[in-house]
Amino acid sequence: MTAGGGLALAGVQKSYDVGPQKLEVLAGIDLALAAGEELAVTGPSGSGKSTLLHIVGTLDRPTAGSVSIDGEDPFALPEPRLARFRNRVVGFVFQDHHLLPQYTVLENVIVPTLAFPGDGAGDEAWARELLERVGLGGRLAHRPAELSGGERQRAAVARALVNRPRLLLCDEPTGNLDRKSAAAVVDLLFELHRDAATILIAVTHSLEIAARFGRRAELVEGRCVEA
Amino acid sequence: MRRSLTWYWRAHLAVAAGAAVATAVLTGALLVGDSVRGSLRDLALDRLGSIDAAVVSERGLRQGLADDLARGLGGDARTAPALLLPGSAVHGETRARASGVDVLGIDERFAALYPDGGELDFEGAGGLFPPVYLNEALAGEIGAAPGDAVLLSIQRPSDVPRETLVGREDAAETIESLRLSVAGVVSDRGPGGFTLAPHQTRPLVALVDLDRLGRRLFGRAGGRRANLFVADLGAAAEAGAGASGTTAAERLGTALPAALTAADLGIELRRFPGRLVVESREFVIPPATAEAIGAIARERGAAVAPVSTYLANAIRSGGREVPYSTVTALEPAPAAALGRLMLADGRPAPALAEDEILINAWAAADLGLAAGPGVEDPAGAADADPIELDYYVLGARDELSTATARFRLAGVVAMEGLAVDPRLTPDFPGLQDADDIAAWNPAFPVELDRIRPRDEDYWDRYKATPKAFVALAAGRRLWRSRFGELTSLRIAPAGPKSDDGVDGLAAALEAELPRRLDPRAAGIGLRALREDGLRAASGATDFAGLFLGLSMFLIASAAMLVGLLFRLGVERRAREVGLLRAVGFPARAVRRRLLAEGAAIAAPGALLGLAGALAYAWALLAGLRSWWLPAVGAPVLFLHVEPLSLALGWASSMAVVLVAVRWALARLDRVPVPALLAGAAGADGLDRAGPAGAGARRGRRAAGVAAAGLLVAAGLEVWTLVSGRASSPALAFGAGAALLVAGLGGFAWWCGGPGLAPNALGRLAAVGMGARNSGRNRGRSLLSVGLVASACFLIVVVAANRGEGEIDVADRASGAGGFTLVAESDVPLLSDLNRHERRLELGMDDEESGALDGVTVVPFRLLPGEDVSCLNLYRPERPRILGVPPEMIARGGFTFQQAAAPVDNPWTLLEGELEPGVVPAIGDYNSVLWILHSGLGKDLAVVDESGAELRLRFVGLLSRSLFQSEVLISEENFVRHFPSRSGYSFFLADPPPERAAGVAAALETGLDRFGLDATGSGERIAAFRAVESTYLSTFQTLGGLGLVLGTVGLGIVLLRNVLERRAELATLQAFGFRRRTLAGMVLAENGALLAAGVAIGALSGLVASAPHVVAGGHGFPWPSLAATLAAVLAAGMLSSVAAVAGTLRAPLLGALRSE
Repeated sequence: MTAGGGLALAGVQKSYDVGPQKLEVLAGIDLALAAGEELAVTGPSGSGKSTLLHIVGTLDRPTAGSVSIDGEDPFALPEPRLARFRNRVVGFVFQDHHLLPQYTVLENVIVPTLAFPGDGAGDEAWARELLERVGLGGRLAHRPAELSGGERQRAAVARALVNRPRLLLCDEPTGNLDRKSAAAVVDLLFELHRDAATILIAVTHSLEIAARFGRRAELVEGRCVEA
Repeated sequence: MRRSLTWYWRAHLAVAAGAAVATAVLTGALLVGDSVRGSLRDLALDRLGSIDAAVVSERGLRQGLADDLARGLGGDARTAPALLLPGSAVHGETRARASGVDVLGIDERFAALYPDGGELDFEGAGGLFPPVYLNEALAGEIGAAPGDAVLLSIQRPSDVPRETLVGREDAAETIESLRLSVAGVVSDRGPGGFTLAPHQTRPLVALVDLDRLGRRLFGRAGGRRANLFVADLGAAAEAGAGASGTTAAERLGTALPAALTAADLGIELRRFPGRLVVESREFVIPPATAEAIGAIARERGAAVAPVSTYLANAIRSGGREVPYSTVTALEPAPAAALGRLMLADGRPAPALAEDEILINAWAAADLGLAAGPGVEDPAGAADADPIELDYYVLGARDELSTATARFRLAGVVAMEGLAVDPRLTPDFPGLQDADDIAAWNPAFPVELDRIRPRDEDYWDRYKATPKAFVALAAGRRLWRSRFGELTSLRIAPAGPKSDDGVDGLAAALEAELPRRLDPRAAGIGLRALREDGLRAASGATDFAGLFLGLSMFLIASAAMLVGLLFRLGVERRAREVGLLRAVGFPARAVRRRLLAEGAAIAAPGALLGLAGALAYAWALLAGLRSWWLPAVGAPVLFLHVEPLSLALGWASSMAVVLVAVRWALARLDRVPVPALLAGAAGADGLDRAGPAGAGARRGRRAAGVAAAGLLVAAGLEVWTLVSGRASSPALAFGAGAALLVAGLGGFAWWCGGPGLAPNALGRLAAVGMGARNSGRNRGRSLLSVGLVASACFLIVVVAANRGEGEIDVADRASGAGGFTLVAESDVPLLSDLNRHERRLELGMDDEESGALDGVTVVPFRLLPGEDVSCLNLYRPERPRILGVPPEMIARGGFTFQQAAAPVDNPWTLLEGELEPGVVPAIGDYNSVLWILHSGLGKDLAVVDESGAELRLRFVGLLSRSLFQSEVLISEENFVRHFPSRSGYSFFLADPPPERAAGVAAALETGLDRFGLDATGSGERIAAFRAVESTYLSTFQTLGGLGLVLGTVGLGIVLLRNVLERRAELATLQAFGFRRRTLAGMVLAENGALLAAGVAIGALSGLVASAPHVVAGGHGFPWPSLAATLAAVLAAGMLSSVAAVAGTLRAPLLGALRSE
């Protein structure tokens, strides 16, 4: 971990009020990842894997502790700048592809560039290139309903990378895929991650997939235990 | 099912509320119909008291007829005589004036027919002048209170038609003025509301003492007369109706002939030795009466000799003349008892050819004809000077002219026998009582300086005995009028010459004539007032239907809302449905189960809606008594509830709701079970239905609909242009409706198409994405757009029809036809208002008359009747009929909506008679269509004066004209079928707009004794338009409520869309989309739907209203229309903002969790 760059979590806690009781999901996570590193997070259902990912991705705020990305505390940013920060720095791949059914594959990949339109010239060309690389160059005008599950998830990977994020976060990216498709998607993730030197964090139940990651951590009772 | 009902109670509550709204609106509209009918019925019955029927006479009949009628009706029937005359009232001090007043002369018998009639006391009332009771409406109109003096002006009825030479009177002398003291003000609902023409507005009634009124009108001798006999048939009516279905009019009709005498029919029988002379109080015997008398006499073997006597201003021959003589037309008597004309030489006079004349010996001597040619020297007759008769001819406008007829002298008649029978000349008003000619007082000019002493001698000796005789055919040709052609019938009984024979014949005529003659031919009509009133109370307009129509958009919105809510509820239960299907429930069974659930939800909702219906109907009626009062004219409508309407409303609403629920379920069958199990029952579920071709097929179908709609619209437009019917509203509406369908089809096609690229709008990407998203759920989007487009379509069409612009009344093609003034008089005028000297004769002063210089006044004959315009809520049974004079037909003008033939001037279609008993007629399009429920080429049956059916066939329908209250026929047909209606009561005048007020004032003040009211034609048309535009504003209001429901629906659709897409929105948020951007995107999505709906609806609405848009006469309300459409957009966007704010405020993140 470097002080000025990469991702750093210090004492991150997250708890929810459930009636009169307090449910503590994350009990103090310390974590540091440099550019080009990858981390697989495993743990049983309900252990807080997705919560951790959402906090890292600035979708959710920690109850306590700090998050720093490239030396910047995103949660100190006002909402508009936080949104722009997320748009430029973070890329997400979800278990459900969440592709927009009314758009073509190419349009779906372009969508993240539209949150702050006008910033990136050549977005469409880059989206086409990404889709070529994920093997969907021939399916640009297809709608999600016309793709297989693996193809949809590959399109989702392309969408996650279209803004050239420094942080690529995957929440059970292969959870809905068969083994073969899952392996292909993971191959692709690694390939693109390495090419772009992103920080890759993936939450998964699959030990097989976790085993391919350079670093692995398990969430146990709200704490991160790195293997 | 009970578990489901309770588990999903929130969703069900919304559905039940929707059902309640639909029921409230639908049933409420039915209750408005009930209320209108019930209120009109109450009003009619209140105004009638216990009166069932009436005998109405053109002339004054003896009051005793009332008792005779009561005896004939038997049982506990009660009758009362009355005098009912139109007139005007003026306040004695303030001079406040009211025309159109019903002056009703009554006595205690009439008052006894009303529960509160006892308050009328004509004997005990104090006051400076004789008492009069005013009804509230009249007292209010002239501001009169008890003790005040009022002046009533009424036209004195005349036995002799005023449009004949002998019946002619100075206009001023026909008006009787009564100064009276107001003894009290009575309710408009008792005897003070009595009227023969049901109308919801309050009649203006002045109640006076019957005998006092009679004495003023008919003199002390003839004072006990009445022209109205009302009857309470009592239990007899009910028993009769119950037993044989006999109507009140039929019962009265049965009793009437037995009660009538020959005198009641205007016939006077004069007995002479060996003969009977039958005369008419009308001077000429009406043709039907003459025919009936002749038939009765001949059936008894009697000889009948018709006689026609007229006045000759001069009998001239060889430069000498005899002034002012009567001339009789007759045939040689068929029986000696009738008397014969004998020539001076003792031979019987010969039968006359049509160009021959006999002169009596006195006149022959005066003319120097001695014994006369043709007697001693018949061959020389051809060479003799012709005998010329000058006689007056009375024109249609009371203008007198002198005509001359030439005859050959056929002989000189000895001064004996028939030749000196003074009864050859009936009583000549103004002449018969004069001791000498100088004392004549006829209504035609007499040059007294032409009267010589010898003429006075003749008068002293022979009175009005004729001095010349012509053939009956000649008399008929020269002097016949529409009132008849015979002045007497001389009848000799068949038996020996005896008085018994004459008496027997007279008795037979007395008995038979009332039975044989249709009383209507003698101007005596029967009116089943109660039955007619109840029938008329069913209304000209079906208010239930009208308000159903007006509320249709509201009902449709409620039904759509129910369908939508139910559908969303079912979609939420997709897994349950999927599970049931998966475990083996057939699709139909699942559907039935859900339908039953829908019914179970809707039934109590609809029951609750019945309470809402009462409130809705009450509110609408309150509206009709206040804001929408112009639509009904009088605040007389109150809530009436028929249980049948409640039942019908509930059942109909349930049917509507269940159709909506069934529609909501229809889609469910097409979603595959796995998709249902995955929780997708909406568009996503259908997407999972698989084959990509389905969407394409739907797209093709939508494109087909769009193309077909466009084709139909284009076809109709081309037809409109080719056929030259650019102003046809039906074609335009068809084209507009087709365009609406095309627009919706096009939108559906667009939904399935590639749409706008999300990045096409650059920095406005969120807007572009929203627009693109709007087509995502085609069914919901189409529903929303359809709702908004339909609403906007109606708003544009309604706004166009309101025609808010001022009309140019001076324009001949306008609804005023170029006439700026409309006037109506209570007393018909016989004179021509276009001539200065005639105006002076009518009582106008020089200044008043001068105001009319250069103004053309077109007079119309008027048959009083019921208003056939939308201003009358009652169903008209006896329409007001106007006789259109020839100059109006020739002038033309106005705009015809439809005409039976393509002629330049459709008014000419009024000329002639189409077939026996069928005459051409013109009416206003709106009145004919909506109030009379008739149309071009269709017949309206009325009864003419002879009692025969007269069919008025519509040959032209005017567009939004000032003639909405009446039906028009030609004056020629009018006088043929209603001969006894004398004079003109309806006038159109064409002063330039800047002079109109001055001319109106001159007419009103100069002719106030005739009760003449002049109003601007623009005001008259505006009154009609006020009804129309009030209904349209009612429609807009109810449509607006529908739109509110529609926007609620839109909000729900949006809410649902957002909820379904929470994950999608969360994803976008994860990629850096701000909440505000997402809100903008969703709003843009809804805005696109709204904009599409408004654009499609407004454009097609404009096409549908093309004739109004391009019409120069009506200003098109662009600003208000634009404001309304903007309000629709704003209301829609506001509901969207509310929905979006509610949903996006909640955290979206949960939707992304995979664990």
